[in-house]
Amino acid sequence: MRVSPLTPETFADNARAALADATLTGALRRATDTFAERRAAAIGAVPDWQELRTRAAAIKAHTLARLDAYLEEFTANATKAGATVHWARDAAEACAIVRDLAQARGSKRLVKSKSMATEEIHLNAALAQDGREPVETDLGEWIIQLAGETPSHIIVPAIHKTKEQIGALFVDKLGIPPSSDPQLLAAEARTRLRAHFAAADLGISGVNFGVAETGTILVLENEGNARMTTTLPAVHVAVMGIEKVIPRFGDLETFLRLLPRSGTGQHLTTYQSMLTGPDPMGQGPRELHIVLLDNGRSRIVADELMRQTLACIRCGACLNACPVYQSIGGHAYGSVYPGPIGAILTPQLQGLHSAGTLPFASSLCGACKDVCPVKIDIPSLLLELRRRAVAGEQVPAAPSRGAAPTTSKPARRKPLEALGWRVWSWVTRSPARFRLATAFARLGQKLPFAMRLFGPMRAWQSSREAPKLAARPFRDRWRGDAR
Amino acid sequence: MNARAAILGAVRDGLRGASVPPLPPPVEPPAPLAVAERIARFTAVQQKLGGVVEAVADRRAACARVGLLLAQKGAAVVAASDAPLLAGLGDYVPADVALLPPDAPRERLLQADIGVTGAQWGIAETGTLVLASADERHRLASLLPALHVVVLPVRALLGTLGEAFAALQRDGAPAARTITFVSGPSRTADIELTLVVGVHGPKALHVLLVRDDG
Ligand code: SF4
Repeated sequence: MRVSPLTPETFADNARAALADATLTGALRRATDTFAERRAAAIGAVPDWQELRTRAAAIKAHTLARLDAYLEEFTANATKAGATVHWARDAAEACAIVRDLAQARGSKRLVKSKSMATEEIHLNAALAQDGREPVETDLGEWIIQLAGETPSHIIVPAIHKTKEQIGALFVDKLGIPPSSDPQLLAAEARTRLRAHFAAADLGISGVNFGVAETGTILVLENEGNARMTTTLPAVHVAVMGIEKVIPRFGDLETFLRLLPRSGTGQHLTTYQSMLTGPDPMGQGPRELHIVLLDNGRSRIVADELMRQTLACIRCGACLNACPVYQSIGGHAYGSVYPGPIGAILTPQLQGLHSAGTLPFASSLCGACKDVCPVKIDIPSLLLELRRRAVAGEQVPAAPSRGAAPTTSKPARRKPLEALGWRVWSWVTRSPARFRLATAFARLGQKLPFAMRLFGPMRAWQSSREAPKLAARPFRDRWRGDAR
Repeated sequence: MNARAAILGAVRDGLRGASVPPLPPPVEPPAPLAVAERIARFTAVQQKLGGVVEAVADRRAACARVGLLLAQKGAAVVAASDAPLLAGLGDYVPADVALLPPDAPRERLLQADIGVTGAQWGIAETGTLVLASADERHRLASLLPALHVVVLPVRALLGTLGEAFAALQRDGAPAARTITFVSGPSRTADIELTLVVGVHGPKALHVLLVRDDG
């Protein structure tokens, strides 16, 4: 059972509710601070960090500009290695492919390792319709699944939960004695999930990188659950966004240097599994299926300005660096991808009509751009999406299949706001009117309650400080001193 | 139109006329580190990650050390790979310990307390063991038991990730169909970012560096 998730439409209310939750904001503050420190320490030890970023960004820009050719090369080589490659235009198609595979193989026990692509297509819910809901095996994801919630961070799904809350959840769902010791809770997870791994007949994973030159997929992790998921069941299904392909096997080195350091501050995560076809040694799955997922990505590829969105390697650094994410957490975004990357990606995947609020959920401070290992210019993309939302432009550019193009609501300013701007324009066109108006404003500032009573100012000031007007305007001082 | 044609068509149409920035040339692997430096770095990083590194003289000494470890840890079931370095392990396994080969039934392998395998390479910079499955069946023995013991020839210890990626490619193909990088015991920080060592993978890692593997 899942708690009905929030949506981007109600972002402002979601954010207000999050801010009022002291447990949540405390947990977020501790976690994002810790992440930022670890990341800084890890990249401080890499002398050529900026060159690495430039290199990674260049590899991604090149690959995305020739994505069709690289996808064909990847498919040919993966197929040659014995994998079966499937193509899914949207979430429904991707889910149907996995459902059919499970059905045809008679799979009964499914396990899954953490994957944002499968969250995006809501694969668990689809499989649950056939009574085949996979067991999440990443500790954080398992906690979320037990709680019936959704992840709130792309690296640490249960970042919003305290150990006390998790302890209480385990008492409630697993009937174990109360404990809030992470060591004990993790040990419990190991024991419980072992039984699932042992019995599983189909394993589902995501893909961090797919290598065109070799048809290899790489899955990285720390816990060993992805190794279990991609080793023990007879069938392995890997869901991979089409933007995950990179040209050469050797390019993995560049991304392996960047991703763990940016995400968790590790030099390398504990495990990287590089799988080229099914296991020929009888030690792993007999079948490997790779589901290539479009679900809006081909439209983003076609949009030259926005294409760099697809360079994202899902490290989570922009979430940890973002003052908005730090304050409200992931759920308030009402989208599978939260934080700065979510604010640019979700409106492009879902359309501005339903996620058009998200590009506005930023102070444009640029912290995300500074930390991004593939140098995505997130603030510029946020501005462009704001412009499109206000202009009522169509985003994404053109759908790949019959569905009606999604258009954001044509911009219509609220009547009061429109009047306000007209008055402003009238006032500022005459020096005398401007002087008079600022004199009134200065008077008004002496009576703060008056400002707050004033309709539009009240809304604006609910989350901002109004700038203070100087007691004596510069204009007057200039004249006085010049004399 | 099938999905493949539709997606590739949409991507191709969307990219028509797009300028293609150049692909950066491959990275040149850096100059190799001296052996002593490689051993020192590998050991230091492994220790930081929670692993143990020990040096042994040769393959006989390695098998003897593994035998001793099995006795010390009170292991009942041991899963071993078919690494050539471990060929003589049977002689050193205590009589009351069951030694499972790589193709033992899954149910048995899941019961193993200790897994003993070789590794094809080590990477000093990151404290990594590279398990490439072309010539050794070590995928299960390195994953299922709570303690993973690895024998690694010093000769196979590389300096950097760059050297490893150079070694891992043969004519544009990966050196093996399954390649696993292992850097320390399994870990999680999913609960309040508190580090817990030992989750689903091995809880402990013990590396025996074999000086002379001839
Ligand atoms: S946008 Fe950049 S910083 Fe954010 S998750 Fe993606 S790669 Fe990481």
